[in-house]
Amino acid sequence: MIGPTEVLNTIWIGIIYMIIALPLTLSYKVTRIINFVHINFITIGAYVGVILFLLGVNSLLLVIPASFLFGAAIAVLNHFIAFSPLEKRGANPVILMIASLGLWIFYKYVVYAFLDLGQKVFRTNLFSVIPRATSLPDVSVGGYVLSGHFFAAILVAGVILGVLYLLLSKTSVGRAIRAVADNPTLAEISGIPKERVVSITWALCGGMAAVGGLLWAVFAIATPEVGDALILQIFAVSVIGGLESLLWTGIGAFIISGAENILMSLLNAVLGVPVSFRPFISFSALLLIILVKPPLGAGGGLPYRFKIVRHYKR
Amino acid sequence: MLGFDVIGFLISWLTLFGTYAILSMSLNLEIGFTGMADFGKVAFYGIGAYLAATITAFTFLFVNGIKCPLHSVEAIVALKECASKNPALNVSIFVLCILITFIITGAIGYLISYPTLRVGPAFLGITVLSFGELLRIFMRHFEPTGGTKGLAGIPHPLAWIPDPRLRDGIYAAIVLVVMLLTYLLSEKIANSPFGRLMRTVRDDEIATLCLGKHVPRIKAAVFFLASGLAGIAGVLLAYYLGSVNPDMFVPAVTFNVWAMVIFGGMGNNKGALIGSAIITFVDRISFVVNLLFPQAIISPDYIRWMIVGLLILITLLFKPQGLMPETPIKTLALTAVAEESGGEENA
Amino acid sequence: MLEVIDLARYFGGIKALDGVSLKVKKGSIVGLIGPNGSGKTTLFNVVTGFYEPTRGEVWFNGERIDGLNPNEIYLKGLVRTFQIPRLFQSLSVLENVLVTPPHQIGESPLNALFKKKWANQEMNLARQAFNILKMLGLAPYTNIKVSDLSAAHIKLLETARGLMGGAKLLLLDEPTAGVAYTTARELFDFIVKLRDEKGLTFFIIEHRLEVLMDYVEYVYVLHNGKLLSEGKPDEVVEDKKVIEAYIGEG
Repeated sequence: MIGPTEVLNTIWIGIIYMIIALPLTLSYKVTRIINFVHINFITIGAYVGVILFLLGVNSLLLVIPASFLFGAAIAVLNHFIAFSPLEKRGANPVILMIASLGLWIFYKYVVYAFLDLGQKVFRTNLFSVIPRATSLPDVSVGGYVLSGHFFAAILVAGVILGVLYLLLSKTSVGRAIRAVADNPTLAEISGIPKERVVSITWALCGGMAAVGGLLWAVFAIATPEVGDALILQIFAVSVIGGLESLLWTGIGAFIISGAENILMSLLNAVLGVPVSFRPFISFSALLLIILVKPPLGAGGGLPYRFKIVRHYKR
Repeated sequence: MLGFDVIGFLISWLTLFGTYAILSMSLNLEIGFTGMADFGKVAFYGIGAYLAATITAFTFLFVNGIKCPLHSVEAIVALKECASKNPALNVSIFVLCILITFIITGAIGYLISYPTLRVGPAFLGITVLSFGELLRIFMRHFEPTGGTKGLAGIPHPLAWIPDPRLRDGIYAAIVLVVMLLTYLLSEKIANSPFGRLMRTVRDDEIATLCLGKHVPRIKAAVFFLASGLAGIAGVLLAYYLGSVNPDMFVPAVTFNVWAMVIFGGMGNNKGALIGSAIITFVDRISFVVNLLFPQAIISPDYIRWMIVGLLILITLLFKPQGLMPETPIKTLALTAVAEESGGEENA
Repeated sequence: MLEVIDLARYFGGIKALDGVSLKVKKGSIVGLIGPNGSGKTTLFNVVTGFYEPTRGEVWFNGERIDGLNPNEIYLKGLVRTFQIPRLFQSLSVLENVLVTPPHQIGESPLNALFKKKWANQEMNLARQAFNILKMLGLAPYTNIKVSDLSAAHIKLLETARGLMGGAKLLLLDEPTAGVAYTTARELFDFIVKLRDEKGLTFFIIEHRLEVLMDYVEYVYVLHNGKLLSEGKPDEVVEDKKVIEAYIGEG
């Protein structure tokens, strides 16, 4: 029922959720845009890996930065062609979100078209592949064979999270990012170059999500829908953090991952729920959070409470 | 291309246009008038189609005393046989399905949206988007409605008309009539005090709440109506195609509708009509063109979707009002004021 | 009429309001002043249900209202305006005022379909709304979109909207900010007139003490979330603590 497999899965999936969800929270904090292109970062990050491995680049040390750069470039491009002009015109958050929806659709099918073309060039099936560096040996721990990728992923994740932490807490760029996140108007008045800070944030977030997508694909699989398949979980994770707290986003990653793996295997064993119903757990989690502890402040919500207040008359 | 069937093309386009126009007007009620981003339109479209398919197939088998699973081959054969026996049955089930679907899909929409209505606009979007996808996953595993294969052989409401061309033509007309009714309904709602509330919610929901209006209830009511209408569009689709399966209802359908509304003009029902007319027309044409180039390097489908995405973005960037900008509410109030100030002058 | 007992609201560690008690009598015009960031708007926000209080009670007309939702509080007759006007940008001036009356027949989606049901009420409300606009000198702009209105007119419109609903107590948040001196006095004259004719009660946040002090009967002074002083206008003006608080700010 709950064996080492579930625990290991919880750990690595949790870590990857964290790497993907943290930038979602961060980019929302800084830009107040719910960015659907986040989905594309994941897919594109994964496929940068796939293509590089196909081209014979066999080192994660090269593939991961490439993935990061690609995601970052797209994120910054989006900012300059779409979000920045729209914001200058005073578009409201809903319009910005719809713009990101348009971009999402566009990039999604750019990937499809590219793969369609790539299939003809590489003569392999690109629509579902597992990007793997062959140079990493497997490790055997207590009778369980763990792939070298497991440790590589944990290492990469650790490095990324460490760098993110140091960047945000110790550097002047990080302080500027946090200042813009807390109060954009005040930050601008006090001389922080908001435009530049926002672009840096986008680059950081796009890159991180792309690396997260690559790591995910290394473990699971890369398909053109890999990002779409993760959106619900990632969003639920970010909502646990109230779209505001990076710490709680990190904790949320393990809550959702734990629910998906440990709770799912329990449900499977006890009630016989098919494993393909896994997303329903995240969905219920999302609804539950919205009902019980809605991110009212950050999500731009209504000061409306469902609870019934009964007061006595005097 | 010599044998290009112009009338057949027109009929299929008009049917598709009518169905999508209902969807876009329902989305327009949400995003255009009330400012609710519904990224899961397809869920209610799908529920409507499935309801119609299930109810119709079940009733026909039941009335004719045939006992077999709805999705079995025997059922499809039996349905084909008894489809044209009793015109009254066909028509009355059609009407009944529309009514039932409106209420059930509306109620589902109300329930699913209510918890998300007080949090920011993204939550409704994500929740409904996921809801649609989960529903699709569920239907793929749900054997009583045929799993991935879905249901087929759904008796057409006009199956008793022998000439298929005439039948499709009349059906297209029915779809257009339903579309027209939807249009009138939306216009009535939009130009009433309730429509005014919808716009105030869009402009500033917090201020609306502070003016004593029950904003979550207003939004949920709009969502009920819009989901119900999407359900009706689903019913029309199910009868037109005669079959349903889970993979007809992918999120891409929602995007299509979004492109229509944004391109046509948010907050304007005529815009939604024009948007859906243009996009469904291009769709039909490209369907014909696709048949001409089966060996394209990149599937024209992908190109088409890229264009849909770009269309949304470019419209927002360069012509945010779309083809038809929003018009002011036609209200009675102004006449009252005109009388008032007119009376002043006389006195 | 309005009674606030030991009201507190904390945001994280910040005590925006810290144990404020005050009373507003029926038919009076009461002022609320204090330096920037002293918690005036927070007080309004808690009283009108925007925030839940961390501690304390709010009573209105013998009913306890803290913890109710803003819409429920509005329906009890407690109406507020905002410091930064929150008008409906895409609606006309008239429609902005027309939205306010509670329980309109046509606001139910079912009734909305039948024009006959709501047409009559709508016409009457429109006439009422137009009269209010006329009183405030907004009549020429009746059919203009709010987004095309000048700042002073926006402020007036916000007040007009407050008057249109079934208000018993109006909480006005800086009603004269950005309005010319004479217009500000006119507005206050109008407030007095409304109080006398309709028996309304006013609780007003105002920065322009020179105008406010001529009209209010009682003033509360907030400083750092606490009540610093209270009394008749002339008493408060001479209170050393108040002068210090204001000088400390400037």
